[in-house]
Amino acid sequence: MAETSAAAGGAPLFEVRQIVKRYPGVAALTDVSVAIRRGQIHALLGENGAGKSTLIGVLSGITIPDSGEIRVDGEPVNIRRPKDAQALGVTTIHQELSLAPDLTVVENIFLGRETGKWGLINDRRMKEQVHQLCSEFGLDEDDMRRPVASLGALKQHVVEILKALVFDARLVILDEPTSGLADSEREALFEHMRALRSRGLSILWVTHRLDELYGLADAITVLRDGRHVATLDDPAAISPEDLVRLMVGGKASSPGAVAEEVGRTRWSGPQDEVLRLEGVSRLPVQNVSLTLKRGEILGVAGIAGAGRTELARLIFGADRREKGTIWINGMPAKIRSPRQAFKAGIALVPEERKTLGILGDFGVSKNISVSRLGGVALGGVLLDGGKESAVAAGYVRELGIKTPSVQQKIRNLSGGNQQKVIIARCLFTEPSILIIDEPTQGIDVGAKVEVYRLIYDFVDNGGAVIVISSELPELLRVADRVVVMREGQIAGEVDVHDNSGSDEDTRKTEEIMALAVRESVA
Amino acid sequence: MNQSARQVSLPDRLSALIAKPSGGAVVLLIAICVVMPLTQPSFLTPDNWGNIINQMVYVLLLAIGMTVVLISGGIDLSVGSILAISAAVMADTINQGRPFIVALLLALLAGAVFGAVNGLLITKLGLPDFVATLATLGIGQGIMFLWTKGFPFIGYMLEDYYVLAGRDRLFGFIGAPVLIAAAVALVIAAVLRATRLGRHTYAVGSNRDAARLSGISVSRVKITAYVISGLLAGLTGVLLAGRTTTVSATMGIGYEIQAIAAAVIGGALLSGGRGRVSGAIAGALLLTVTYNVINIAGVSATWQQVFLGAILLLAVIVDRLGTLAYQRSLSRARVRSTATLA
Amino acid sequence: MARILRSLSVDGVTVTIAFVIMVAYFAIASPFFLSGENIRNLLVEATPIALIAAGLTYVLLAGGIDLSVGGVLGLSAGVAYWGLLQGLPVGVVVLLGITVGAVVGVVNGLVISGLGVNDFIVTLATMSMSFGLLAVLASSVTLAGAASEEFSEIARGAIFAVPTPVIIAVVLLALLEVILIKTPFGRRVYAGGMNPRAAELAGVPVRRVRFEVYVISGAVAGLAGVIQASRLNSVQDGLGSGYELTAIAAAVLGGVSLTGGRGSVWRTVVGALFLVSLSRGLQLLGVDPLWFTIVTGLSIIAAIAFDRIMQRVAASRATSRETPAAPMPPASVSEMTRV
Repeated sequence: MAETSAAAGGAPLFEVRQIVKRYPGVAALTDVSVAIRRGQIHALLGENGAGKSTLIGVLSGITIPDSGEIRVDGEPVNIRRPKDAQALGVTTIHQELSLAPDLTVVENIFLGRETGKWGLINDRRMKEQVHQLCSEFGLDEDDMRRPVASLGALKQHVVEILKALVFDARLVILDEPTSGLADSEREALFEHMRALRSRGLSILWVTHRLDELYGLADAITVLRDGRHVATLDDPAAISPEDLVRLMVGGKASSPGAVAEEVGRTRWSGPQDEVLRLEGVSRLPVQNVSLTLKRGEILGVAGIAGAGRTELARLIFGADRREKGTIWINGMPAKIRSPRQAFKAGIALVPEERKTLGILGDFGVSKNISVSRLGGVALGGVLLDGGKESAVAAGYVRELGIKTPSVQQKIRNLSGGNQQKVIIARCLFTEPSILIIDEPTQGIDVGAKVEVYRLIYDFVDNGGAVIVISSELPELLRVADRVVVMREGQIAGEVDVHDNSGSDEDTRKTEEIMALAVRESVA
Repeated sequence: MNQSARQVSLPDRLSALIAKPSGGAVVLLIAICVVMPLTQPSFLTPDNWGNIINQMVYVLLLAIGMTVVLISGGIDLSVGSILAISAAVMADTINQGRPFIVALLLALLAGAVFGAVNGLLITKLGLPDFVATLATLGIGQGIMFLWTKGFPFIGYMLEDYYVLAGRDRLFGFIGAPVLIAAAVALVIAAVLRATRLGRHTYAVGSNRDAARLSGISVSRVKITAYVISGLLAGLTGVLLAGRTTTVSATMGIGYEIQAIAAAVIGGALLSGGRGRVSGAIAGALLLTVTYNVINIAGVSATWQQVFLGAILLLAVIVDRLGTLAYQRSLSRARVRSTATLA
Repeated sequence: MARILRSLSVDGVTVTIAFVIMVAYFAIASPFFLSGENIRNLLVEATPIALIAAGLTYVLLAGGIDLSVGGVLGLSAGVAYWGLLQGLPVGVVVLLGITVGAVVGVVNGLVISGLGVNDFIVTLATMSMSFGLLAVLASSVTLAGAASEEFSEIARGAIFAVPTPVIIAVVLLALLEVILIKTPFGRRVYAGGMNPRAAELAGVPVRRVRFEVYVISGAVAGLAGVIQASRLNSVQDGLGSGYELTAIAAAVLGGVSLTGGRGSVWRTVVGALFLVSLSRGLQLLGVDPLWFTIVTGLSIIAAIAFDRIMQRVAASRATSRETPAAPMPPASVSEMTRV
């Protein structure tokens, strides 16, 4: 159990000890202990599913741990509801901000805690109270009058921070605050974080971007698979590579390791170009050009907000591009809707399976047939239930979908099986190009292997795949080539074909990271 | 939305004007007032405007209540029924020989209770706002039919009622209902602008979850909004009963459409979070002036309902286009504020 | 107990059981209730309600709402009858009525799916316009007294003692059900209402489907108007008012979800039969028919409250069994971009 050194002296401001939280079948947190000192910017690192959100939930009263202890100033406390956390001075700023868009800055800061007598609101006094603070944090008179919906992402964050400041927060939890911010805005936000620190507030800061840590974080805690891996009191002393190693570890569930187990027989036919983009634009995507060949897996990397998903939607016709041309098999394609994309041989497995993928009340078979109903209809008019079930049963067998029957509502399947159903839906449209956005998000290890196998099978039989992923080890193993997006543009390309050895992995990871965040990490 | 106009381009200003609550209504009103006198000189006479003002009171009161509900993110289709029931309570209580003031209070209470029932169905039982109030609209109408059994309430016009009925006119043309409506408008405007309740109503309609996280009781705010709407509908019923001198089972039917139209024309958003009393006034005035124009132009009164529907349809289309323009200007503003930082 | 609750949450079971129990009760309470004559009257009375409720069901399944069905019924009845008075052939008159309904549906669909305007306000507006136009028409022409045997036959004829309108309705309702269950279009209606964003990405043209269901709802309501005009052999100002409430009640009683994606035509039809039988049964028992709107309103509230409870039961069963793949994220907060 790594502990922070007692350099600051006295009990830590916030301390969680031996926190355990289990969900049915999953241990979200196992024996996690973290101590956050007064005036400390404490970074929390870990891959997706490492337990960061659960830990934040525990501190902010959204999640009740199964066992363990929380201490504030050395005293044990009970946090059972968000209100308890607020009373202890914990303010959580989620990625999706909790502001009322139609209210002004001042109205939002004081929302629910307005000053004034007899139910009346003394707007002038509230404004005077925060005026100084607002201008310190870069909000001018004009900003303060406007509905927050008209402010940029940074300023909206600032409003949340001010909300915390005005009401004597002691611990501010920032959940990936820089996603969706431009570089200049990130710098401004970091200044604000320093300002909070100098006021004696503690910050628990969740981030995916290692380059941000240096010069800002006072301590770093790394979680992996729900366990505490390390707490480092001197971030300057550790290299980004070592941090990546701590986060990824040599664990069996590392996507890279998993992908390696899956064999691959490469497509040996003609490698003609199946997709070409030239100057495709629609904010935030700007002027993207790329090509995709038959039998190839193209990875798309980039930090959150770099425009990867938006690019996929443009290719797929879910959004209309404002500029640029798309060629499919050498012909300019007019794709204005997903329906036309399917007809043109492009299929998309979307991210956020629950909201964008599954049709929850439909059974497995209806979920598979929905994108090509003509394929299960007699004469294209009357749906043939028998044929529909047979098609679904075929995919259930072929893709190893675990379901009691093809009529089972997809809602009741596990994430991995849902993902396979969505892939089956795409395969049933007989595409030549498959775009998969976060293929293994939220699914278990066994299912990951099978998803990779499906991708390989598809390309090895002459298909072409674009994989968008936030997990670099996954891209390094799965893709032949990785293009890196940054702020809506292609920042560069890394060939990861026939990668071998972990040294090369680390080098390529760094290369991709450097492209994704501009500053070189090495 | 009086942002200081630093570097604001013309298209921005235009879309801001369209998006501005009630901007469209004001423009249309001015247009009518300029064009109408050219063809119908009687339009601009003080008499006619006195009529318009006296007529608009009823729609205005309903529209103010509707605006409050819309701000909170709801909708109240039952106002017509509430209006009728309150009017019937008023008439029946007077006919039973009870004091006028008792009848008045009972009528208002009936409206408030009806509103509270709406609020409870929506917040406690989880019914969608418009379904709950559509159901209570039907129930209220049923109650009116059962209660009157085809015989409207009459004979309740005691002298006590004359003032409220607007028969005694101040300055020769303004009836008491106008003053009451003005007072209500001022009070509700003040509540929305300067009280915790008002602020929380906007917050709940703007982002429920944010409001809840800020410790605001969403249910209480929504129920209060429906009670206010019910109370104002009850008041409208009392005033209208004085004007019509009979309370029939069909009283109030279709009034919800007028109220919604006036509120939406006045810039209240159906999605909640935005709306103003001043907008409701503009909307009610526009509706009443339109009726007046139709009348003066000699169009049969049966066309009124057609026009009403058309105006509502136009209003929501303009509302939608305004919202789209507003969103575009917002995203432009965001891009700009990012750009200037870089 | 849990098992009983579970079987009640199966689609359409509850309303069917309730319907059977009610019919049994009225049959015992009033021997006349199950007489051929009463059943015939009841079915004829239920026809227009069942039709507009079925059209409305399409709209509800696709995730929308159509309040204009009553107004459309009235206006179509009025225009059709006017056509009859002008001496148009009966076939043309029927088409005229259906076309009027479809036109209102086109307006609804264009404004709602084309511009993205709030569906129930739009249909509230077109409802008002429809009733208004009927009032205008009725005030300028007396819509009564056409002596067309052929037209009367639409509602008053019978084949083997089965009233013609009932036959028309059964055929049409069956067709609507088949389209819903057995065609790609019907499947897309469900998908679009269930999860529009996912359906769009799965290649369902959600907006077009939404447009089409309004046209269907309008056309069906138009036909219902023609039948009603034939049955009454006159059309009065206000015909159809309040029908939207009854139609929504029928759909909701049948378990059609107001948020889309759940329900079917036959269940709505059972809901409509339930309501009409209830009203006739109560009348036979000497209850004032004026109670009907109250009962309708209350049944909407009761049906939705019941549905909520069943969903809660279902949800609590699901969570006790389901294994979340990842820890639950904090409750998400609605989008900031919404204005």
